[in-house]
Amino acid sequence: MNEFIKYTVNIAKGLHMLCSGMYITMLNMIRPKITEQYPENRGKKTYFENFRGELVMPHNENNEHKCTACGICMMNCPNGTIQIVTSVLTDETGKNKKALDRYVYDLGSCIFCALCTSSCPQGAIQWTNAFEHAVYTKDKLKKQLNREGSTLMTKNRQ
Amino acid sequence: MYSFKDITDGIDSILHLFLNDTFATLAELILAGLALIGAYAVLALTLIYAERKICAAFQCRIGPSRTGKWGVFQTVADMIKILFKELIRLDHNDRFLFRVAPFIVIIASMCTFAALPFAKNLHAIDFNMGVFYLIAVSSLGVIGILLAGWSSNSKYTMIGAMRSGAQLISYEISAGLSLLAVVILSGTMKISEIVEQQSEMWFIFRGHVPAIIAFFTYIIAGHAETNRGPFDLPEAESELTAGYHTEYSGIQFGFYYLAEYLNMFIVAAIAAVMFFGGWMPLHVSGWDGFNYIMDCIPSFIWFFGKTFACVFIALWVRWSFPRLRIDQLLNFEWKILMPICLINIILMSLIVVF
Amino acid sequence: METLEKRLSTLEYVSVENEDDRTTVTVAPEKVLELAKILRYEEKYDFLFDIVGMDYGDEGFGVIYYLSQTENPARLTAVKTRTGSREKNELDSVCEIWESANVYEREVYDFFGIIFINHPDLRRIFLRTDWNGYPLRKDYDFESNSIPVHNELIPDMETSHSVYMHEGHEEDVTRSLFDSNEYVVNFGPQHPAMHGVLHLRVSIEGEEVKNIDPNFGYIHRGIEKLCESYTYPQILHLVDRLDYLSGTMNRHAVCLCCEKALGLEVPPRAQYVRTIIDELTRIASHLLGWGCMCMDMGSITAFVYGMRDREKIMDIFEETAGGRLMPNYNIIGGIARDINPNFIRRVKEFIPYMRKMLKEHHILFTGNPIATGRMKKIGYLSKERAITTGATGPSSRASGWSNDLRKIKPYSAYDKVDFDEVLRTGGDTFDRYIIRLDEIEQSLRIIEQLIDNIPEGAFAAKTGAIIRLPKGEFIQRVENARGQFGVHIASEGGKTPYRVKFRSPSLVLVNALKEIVPRHKIADLIMIGASLDYVIPCIDR
Repeated sequence: MNEFIKYTVNIAKGLHMLCSGMYITMLNMIRPKITEQYPENRGKKTYFENFRGELVMPHNENNEHKCTACGICMMNCPNGTIQIVTSVLTDETGKNKKALDRYVYDLGSCIFCALCTSSCPQGAIQWTNAFEHAVYTKDKLKKQLNREGSTLMTKNRQ
Repeated sequence: MYSFKDITDGIDSILHLFLNDTFATLAELILAGLALIGAYAVLALTLIYAERKICAAFQCRIGPSRTGKWGVFQTVADMIKILFKELIRLDHNDRFLFRVAPFIVIIASMCTFAALPFAKNLHAIDFNMGVFYLIAVSSLGVIGILLAGWSSNSKYTMIGAMRSGAQLISYEISAGLSLLAVVILSGTMKISEIVEQQSEMWFIFRGHVPAIIAFFTYIIAGHAETNRGPFDLPEAESELTAGYHTEYSGIQFGFYYLAEYLNMFIVAAIAAVMFFGGWMPLHVSGWDGFNYIMDCIPSFIWFFGKTFACVFIALWVRWSFPRLRIDQLLNFEWKILMPICLINIILMSLIVVF
Repeated sequence: METLEKRLSTLEYVSVENEDDRTTVTVAPEKVLELAKILRYEEKYDFLFDIVGMDYGDEGFGVIYYLSQTENPARLTAVKTRTGSREKNELDSVCEIWESANVYEREVYDFFGIIFINHPDLRRIFLRTDWNGYPLRKDYDFESNSIPVHNELIPDMETSHSVYMHEGHEEDVTRSLFDSNEYVVNFGPQHPAMHGVLHLRVSIEGEEVKNIDPNFGYIHRGIEKLCESYTYPQILHLVDRLDYLSGTMNRHAVCLCCEKALGLEVPPRAQYVRTIIDELTRIASHLLGWGCMCMDMGSITAFVYGMRDREKIMDIFEETAGGRLMPNYNIIGGIARDINPNFIRRVKEFIPYMRKMLKEHHILFTGNPIATGRMKKIGYLSKERAITTGATGPSSRASGWSNDLRKIKPYSAYDKVDFDEVLRTGGDTFDRYIIRLDEIEQSLRIIEQLIDNIPEGAFAAKTGAIIRLPKGEFIQRVENARGQFGVHIASEGGKTPYRVKFRSPSLVLVNALKEIVPRHKIADLIMIGASLDYVIPCIDR
């Protein structure tokens, strides 16, 4: 008889736990949904500013940037994401100076470690929180960060 | 109460205008078959869509939402995709059995489907031993599953098929015994009579405690039979990748997919017929006004309403519980479910006798 | 320690050095096994933390055994040996003494070509069987292996190879892993429940597992070799990618190791924030572990709930550190940037939310009779076996082995908080399951105590532009979400390390499968695997 009581009590207990589990799922059914409707909520949702999405080089209104083409970011990059192409300019005093020709950033091989931005002595490069990187061909991920015809900012020129 | 007799009689008389008796019957059979196949496909798509939406709701998600309003065409799109997919030919397997297996599964579930009373007088097959027929035909599907597992020449499918065989044979007993309780109560095996008898009050209320117990045991055993819910061991995704249909692709896989959902519907429909009166509206003896209002609701809405309520419970269970292990599954059947069913039959007989 | 020194001074073939937190014993290569037996059976060194292979150039190859005692777990003893010349590459195996040596020695064999005599199963562990050369040797020729274009042939009936000493001369013995009449099923490399690209060959009999053989290396990236050409700040970013679910803790270990070597004082603000971030990562990892375990059991809903709650932590990381899975937050000397102004508010909102959800998770799953039936009394790992297999972390604390480094040897701000080391004694799958949920609760307690008391001040110590570690060998252990993560750095004084070795807690956990799984059912194999909660990229470094 004892065995039989234990057997029935076990079944009842099990049923109770199963029902409370089903109560939890029902509770979640009536809760607001967590899915983000991505293309629809574009612009409505605020994205975190700190998010490392893509490397950019800010330019001011005169089409000037801060990059002195020193190459520290290139050295610090663990997997050769950054390529700096320089040209030698002669300034008015006759000194030869390196100047930035092209700052090539390969988003496809970037691991977003931020060693480039943290090591940049000029603060010439920055992260933006842009995250829509999809392109059709791989070479489109290779981006030139400095704009056409841009020059070094005057106050950074020493 | 609206009866489908007018429509069926109308078609019958129109056919008799052009054809003699033999051909008219033949034409009617073909028409009924086509109608059933059409209903089968539509229902399967609806059920897949319903499962996706309901499962998403349980999981705090939205579910399909891109194809059409609320994603209603998602399953249609998926079915079109499945139709266009390549049927992959395997090396070193039994081609003939491999091809035949999906058909056996889907034919078994279609045969069961045909015996359901969808509405008043909308009932394709009505034997005097309808319940027996339902139990017999619905268990044919396991042959297809076993063949699929065997003929694929894969270890996963083999394990899945063997699990399925063990599971189905065990749970068939409980499902049969639960239905037997209702048969004892009604005294007949003819489905239309079982439904008629529930015009006063549904069996689940009339049958006292044994009917309620029989309902739950049937729901559990029925879903175990269809390899769904917490009983999806034969296709246990995390163990056997996809179980017995691992090697199938395209529409052959689609057959298994459709049959799985339709079997779920069939189990729910049988539960609705046997315990909730099928298409019979809710009648309370003495409350004539109430009964009249209930009669105004069309009979097929009653049937589908009850069935989908049962389907919802099945989905709710499925998306709440983890899967059983094979020994738990068999223990549960042989040590808990079957004894309960047997005692239940005795109780039911006592109630009927006294 | 005095007893050890006294004992060892009687042996003429060893020399002992004592540093403040570890003892270094140098031993002749022929006497390794003898010393190991003394250490294990007389001095109770029952936990083999790691075996590090070294290439000492002209002085031959070396092996460092890191040992620990369960009675005195805070102290590591390093046993060093070197073969003397490059031609000599044989050592005695210590497999019979510590079970975990099985995989460690295979790893050393794979990368350095050191042959361990009497090892029962000396196959390559990560690299392909047709690989030429031993890649972590300093004279390894990068051109010696072309990019393979053909699949490696892995027969079901793979053979294992060992070298035995027999009457003074070596004897190669080849034996088959499985009998030819066994029914061997491949689980993985692509399998829904293998948590990555693990490959298990399982010989089954009906539903029962008879024998199991894990096969690693499908995503081996050669991080340890890569580290040898990277500067220390660059190494940090590879470490995140080992065990991606406890990336911040792994980084923490490397940072602590470098800081210890440099003698750098980390500002208290950074220490507090590091601890909070670590605990948040632990919660996220355990939530995912819980969810995956439920999913492996067939309850996909629970997995989605786990991911939903984890998302809150990911948002906190994204806002403060700028990355979600790879926050890249710890740097040598502190943290990469100050915390976001919203950080404290968000974490405070998260704590009560998580407590509420934990209750729901318990109701949904812990009480479920199906789940408890599948987990209780399944996959028993005894305390002794846990220690000898080297299984650390929650998986072994469920067996009752107290090995939480946060308690044993507190680092960062762990000595300033009050929390319990969750210990259970069952050692079964259920205990390994419930211990994770309990640890989430403890992590919340830690965060709660720290979040209001983050000191003001600098968030990172000043370091030079180029970080050079002094000459020497440094080891640091950290408790990550899966167990004791260790980093061993050997430096020659340059800006790149000479050798880096990561001790992965997952590797031994997978090896422990061999111990636990036989005589269980297929469904239990999946459950036990999920309850050990290994991460494959951490194994395949």
